[in-house]
Amino acid sequence: MTDTASATRSARDTLADVYVVDADVHIHEDPAALAEYAEPPWDVGLREIAKVEERYLDLPGMTPRAEFRVPFPGGSNRRQIVTSAGELRSSLDELHVNKAVLFPDHLLYLAMVRDPDFAVTLARSYNRWLHERWLLEDTSLKGAIVVAPQDPQAGAAEIRRYAGCREFVCVYLPASGLRPLYGHRQYDSLYEAAVEAGLPVALHSVEAVFPVFPFELNEFRTTFGAHSVAHPFSMIANMVSMLETGVPARFPDLRIAFMEAGCGWIPFILHRLDKEYIERRREVPLLQERPSHYIKRFFYGTQPIEEPERLADIVKLYELFDGEHQAMFASDWPHHDFDHPEYFFGLPFGVEARRKIMGENAIRFFGPEVA
Amino acid sequence: MSEEHTLCSVDELPEGTHRVVRVGKREIGVFNIRGELHAIPNLCPHQRGPLCKGSVSGALDCGPHTDWKVAWIWEGEVVTCPWHSLEFHVPTGQCLALPDVRLRKFELRLVGGDVRVVL
Repeated sequence: MTDTASATRSARDTLADVYVVDADVHIHEDPAALAEYAEPPWDVGLREIAKVEERYLDLPGMTPRAEFRVPFPGGSNRRQIVTSAGELRSSLDELHVNKAVLFPDHLLYLAMVRDPDFAVTLARSYNRWLHERWLLEDTSLKGAIVVAPQDPQAGAAEIRRYAGCREFVCVYLPASGLRPLYGHRQYDSLYEAAVEAGLPVALHSVEAVFPVFPFELNEFRTTFGAHSVAHPFSMIANMVSMLETGVPARFPDLRIAFMEAGCGWIPFILHRLDKEYIERRREVPLLQERPSHYIKRFFYGTQPIEEPERLADIVKLYELFDGEHQAMFASDWPHHDFDHPEYFFGLPFGVEARRKIMGENAIRFFGPEVA
Repeated sequence: MSEEHTLCSVDELPEGTHRVVRVGKREIGVFNIRGELHAIPNLCPHQRGPLCKGSVSGALDCGPHTDWKVAWIWEGEVVTCPWHSLEFHVPTGQCLALPDVRLRKFELRLVGGDVRVVL
């Protein structure tokens, strides 16, 4: 990543010339649609939930989100959900996205669902609905298999159910309100199944106020406070947990990604853990290398991309965790803080680095189905 | 050399409304704020979002000039970008979050019943 855009961009170099894989796009799973795919008696419950008016990322009964914002008038008036494959494809065409990996809306909160049987049903119904209504409709849309962390055995079965199904390219691990963290041995069955299926896993959080570390965000009075730390703290907590129990050492073939937390936190935790490791290696003898070596083999979604006053600082930031090879462009479309590919394209990365981050790294992570 | 282009008729822009009009390759947002007309680009300098398709409201303010109490100001004068919610004060073009960002204000003329922009 030594060259810069100004030095290497040719006059013909435009976003349209770059193959763009969008590693994180969200689709809207309305409960009435999921009810059609749910096993009894949960279909009855979902139809009941469907009677309640939905707010953005907030569905009573499915997403126990506390909303503390004072509703002053104004703010974004943009529709922030997509409800069909056709609508999504048309938006992605405008964004110049070639292939996209789909994640849910409401099920971002899946780890908070208290009844594990209902959580498993939601994941199963969603995956069936996703496959039939989106992935088979448009082959440029690829799926993330949702698993309920409340029941890892059922999650492993769900991964095996779709193993070899070309429409699914990863396993989604919901991280918001999660307990215990993803380093806990109870999740080993998920990792075993993912490795067996040749599928990577992607951790993805969402802002929430919930009595589970690190989501006790009621300490903050604003979304400015809560949202700024919810995603990166969640990713840091899970990454540290996974390194504590040696997940990347015990599952060396498992590709792991951390989504929607930007990348600013990575150099911090990387250096911090290397420092701790010098003194406390005996506590984590199952790590065969210093933590930063594993961290530089994990993958990362770019969004929400940092916006420093000096844009060149982003290039420096990415150098600190080998972002040229490990970062994957993610728009988060159509959510409130999505990043436009044009914006990423305009950052002062070299041509090679840009091509890798906007597509090739995602192909290494998700596999040839997104090529 | 400047050119004038008709954006709309005055009747099409009642007080408290705004609209986006295409002029050649350019999109211009024209606003009627309590009888005063303003025109700014329909292009957010942040990530090039369609700024003037956003909602118009007021803004929250707080500082030594409000005795550190939160105040609602500029009712009907602030447009919020629908993409990432960056706020702009339409009469001045000033971005609220980024002090060094100020939008170009287009000159407007009323000719007969038409609102014209000078480019």
